[in-house]
Amino acid sequence: MSPEELAFLALALIAIVTGTLALLVRELIHTIVWIGVFFVDLAALYFLLLAPFLGVLQLGVYAGAVTILLLFGIMVTRKRIFSRDAATGITTVPVALAVVAFIFLLIALPEFPQGELTVRSYDPSLLSQNLFGPGGPWLLLLGLVMLSALIGAIYLVREGRE
Amino acid sequence: MTTLAITGFLALSFALFAIAIFGILTRRNFILLLVSLEIGMNAAILNFVYFAALAPANTGSTSGLSGQSIAVVLIGFAATEIAVGLAIVLALNRSKGSINVADSTTLRS
Amino acid sequence: MDLSILFGWAFLVPLLPALAFVIIGIWGQRLGRLEHGGWIAVLLSGAAMVLGVLIAVGEMLSPNSYTDVSYTWFHVSASGPFANGVSFVVGTLVDPISALMLIVVTVVGFLVMLYSVGYMHHDEGLPRYYALLSLFLTAMLGVVLADNLLEFFLFWELVGVCSYFLIGFYWRKPSASSAAKEAFLVTRIGDVMFLLGIFIYFSVYAMTGPNGGWAANGFLFVHGSTSFIPIGASGNSTLLTVAGLMLLGGAAGKSAQFPLDVWLPDAMEGPTTVSALIHAATMVAAGVYLLVVGSIFLGGYTSIVLFAIVAVGGFTTFYAATMAVVNTDIKRVIAYSTISQLGYMVLAVGAGFALVGLYHLFTHAFFKALLFLAAGAIIHTIVTQDLFRMGGLAKKMRYTSIAFLIGALALSGIPPFAGFWSKDDVLASVYSQLGAHPEYWPFFILAFVTVFLTAYYIFRVYFLAFSGERTRDASLPEAHEVPWVMLVPMMVLAGFAVVAGLFVFVPSFGSLFTGVPGLATNVPPSYGPTDLVLSAISVTLAGAGIVLAWVLWGNGRVYELPAGSPAHSIRNLLLARYHVKAAYDWVGMVGMYTVARAADFFDRFVIDGAVKGFERSFRSMSDSMRRIQTGLVSDYAAYVVAGIIAVFVLLLFVAPYLASVFGGG
Repeated sequence: MSPEELAFLALALIAIVTGTLALLVRELIHTIVWIGVFFVDLAALYFLLLAPFLGVLQLGVYAGAVTILLLFGIMVTRKRIFSRDAATGITTVPVALAVVAFIFLLIALPEFPQGELTVRSYDPSLLSQNLFGPGGPWLLLLGLVMLSALIGAIYLVREGRE
Repeated sequence: MTTLAITGFLALSFALFAIAIFGILTRRNFILLLVSLEIGMNAAILNFVYFAALAPANTGSTSGLSGQSIAVVLIGFAATEIAVGLAIVLALNRSKGSINVADSTTLRS
Repeated sequence: MDLSILFGWAFLVPLLPALAFVIIGIWGQRLGRLEHGGWIAVLLSGAAMVLGVLIAVGEMLSPNSYTDVSYTWFHVSASGPFANGVSFVVGTLVDPISALMLIVVTVVGFLVMLYSVGYMHHDEGLPRYYALLSLFLTAMLGVVLADNLLEFFLFWELVGVCSYFLIGFYWRKPSASSAAKEAFLVTRIGDVMFLLGIFIYFSVYAMTGPNGGWAANGFLFVHGSTSFIPIGASGNSTLLTVAGLMLLGGAAGKSAQFPLDVWLPDAMEGPTTVSALIHAATMVAAGVYLLVVGSIFLGGYTSIVLFAIVAVGGFTTFYAATMAVVNTDIKRVIAYSTISQLGYMVLAVGAGFALVGLYHLFTHAFFKALLFLAAGAIIHTIVTQDLFRMGGLAKKMRYTSIAFLIGALALSGIPPFAGFWSKDDVLASVYSQLGAHPEYWPFFILAFVTVFLTAYYIFRVYFLAFSGERTRDASLPEAHEVPWVMLVPMMVLAGFAVVAGLFVFVPSFGSLFTGVPGLATNVPPSYGPTDLVLSAISVTLAGAGIVLAWVLWGNGRVYELPAGSPAHSIRNLLLARYHVKAAYDWVGMVGMYTVARAADFFDRFVIDGAVKGFERSFRSMSDSMRRIQTGLVSDYAAYVVAGIIAVFVLLLFVAPYLASVFGGG
């Protein structure tokens, strides 16, 4: 087993564990901690796949911004940060649905493109060329969506509504 | 330059996606719902990165990188979604006094 | 003076009471000073009487003339079997029998109308009463003057409707409204049969006769001065036998012959004046008149039908008289006597002497109206109909008692009163047929025995009501003589009851009964040796009946049946009206009710059940569907996931399987 495979297994295990823990812990603030670890772990996975630009973006946007935003969300909706959420039982049907979905995805796995991942390093400038070349429309679309989301968010939280 | 079998990667993103589904179906706290959504989103983004690496090697060209560039766009979408989600959290909190989605059942007639 | 110019104006006779109906119907409430329209009704029916009697006299002066004045209402052009089309006409026909009926209906109608002014004075709803009574008169005059079968039927139905309203005049009394319904429904059975008979006659005779056939001529009764369908045309046709039986059914319904007689005694719930009119001139006379019309204008009857008519008439005569013997209600006794006397008329028609039946109808109308009006006078003063509470009224009501006595003598058949001549004529006519038709014997004997019963029951009524020292029930109001508006009609009718039977010996009047060629007639009575013997026997029987009544009930006596006598059970049977009404009720209650219950069950459980089950399944479906809508976003997410899984299943398993089965690409 190559070091890369070993690293992948370790990172995958950490991702699954932290992702699950983030949803299962009772303290909402612990969720933020675990999801932060999860995001960092995924960033590490990107580095492993030799996509450093994405890794950095993951760290900046997810591990940084999203985590902090979620934290803010908790802070503005709770009087005390360390307060337990109402216990939520793990009911049968949703778990079954999730498991069934997973099993079906595994069954469908052979339908996906197969092969070996060829991991190579590349010049990040190529990515930006790609982004602003063939990926240009995507970038424009992202800008539009962000702008409308900004307007929508401002509308939603505006004071004096209702 | 190393090679890795794609099967394990796909299994990882499927597992993460299943965890996300589990979270969406069981959690009642809106923030946890957002967290579940993010997990699912990340599982999807991962796939783009894998398939970018699966593309035939032609160094010097940018074609193998289109998967990664879409991943960049998707990360942006995810951030946007969190922003809107948090706005909904604030609006919910103000109108219902709670961010428990079980308290917001006005969809029912 | 030539009165035949009036024949063209005969349509005015029914229209005058119709005018009264319209005036009183619309403005009756404002005519309080005119007795709420009563005097208008009297005036216009009086005018109708004058015109009607003049027309009748004109018919007598120009014997055997048939004057048809008709107007084509509409014409259906030739189609199907009617090569010359079908006409519908309205018109009047003045002929001997309608002239005779005109006298009966207008005179009795006018007198009853006049009497009503006194009798109904204290009642409410007088405009309704006078309007309907006028319409009743119009309807009967329409029947009498109708010149075709359809018009006849229309007025016939109008008679039924008016009788319904008038019998139910005291509609607040449940018994009155149910009696009205009973009269309407029972006569309706007859009416339906009559209508079926009309259809058969139309279909049989549509293309026969002059001028392109009967249908093309609007089913007129006469053509020129002869019957459109010649007398005796029916021969022995099976179809016409059925038609004749249907006609008999219609007549039995209207004339209350067995077994459709149940409505007439119950119709006593109406005002006594209405009873007088129904029993004498209008309603029940229409049935007999129909049979006479059938004999003259519809080709006569086949032998089977004739026997059926004889059987119905003869049996009803006796059957109704027996019930009259025990009844204690003064109006009901007279009602049964009407049924019985109608039986005589029907019997005469069945024996082939339609005009003899009409003769009895003529005399009977006067003395029966007289009896009813006299009974009405009693009811008017002492407010009871129970014979056993009356008594000694002769002292208080001298003129009324004389009038009733004359009516009773006429009904009993004591010479020289009107009833004697006509009843004897009926019996003699039937007797003359016994040689050719021995099967008539039992009915002849029944009719003969009835003479005795008739005299007995009517004098029982007379003695119970008028003889003795005082009323048996002291709590009754003091009796007194009735006002002149009620006495005058009684006096006039009493006069007719004395002499009406003798009119036929006047040649011009008698010509009304001899004007139909080809129809056997025995009017005026010939009085051969056998007839005299029959008359002697019947007068003796009637006298015996009167004597028996005097012995049992005379001078204030009340006869009690000895205890334990078997006569008690007979009496109860008669009071229960032979259980015929109970049988009708049983048919209605058990037979029809079972059917209705079954229909109700089917409707409630099968039809309603299907509808409700459908509704309930939809409701439960929507209830379960509604439960899906929890409003919880997690649940909606679960549905999305389940849907995605379903798509997976479709794509991964179902689609390949289908492809393998159907071999698609």
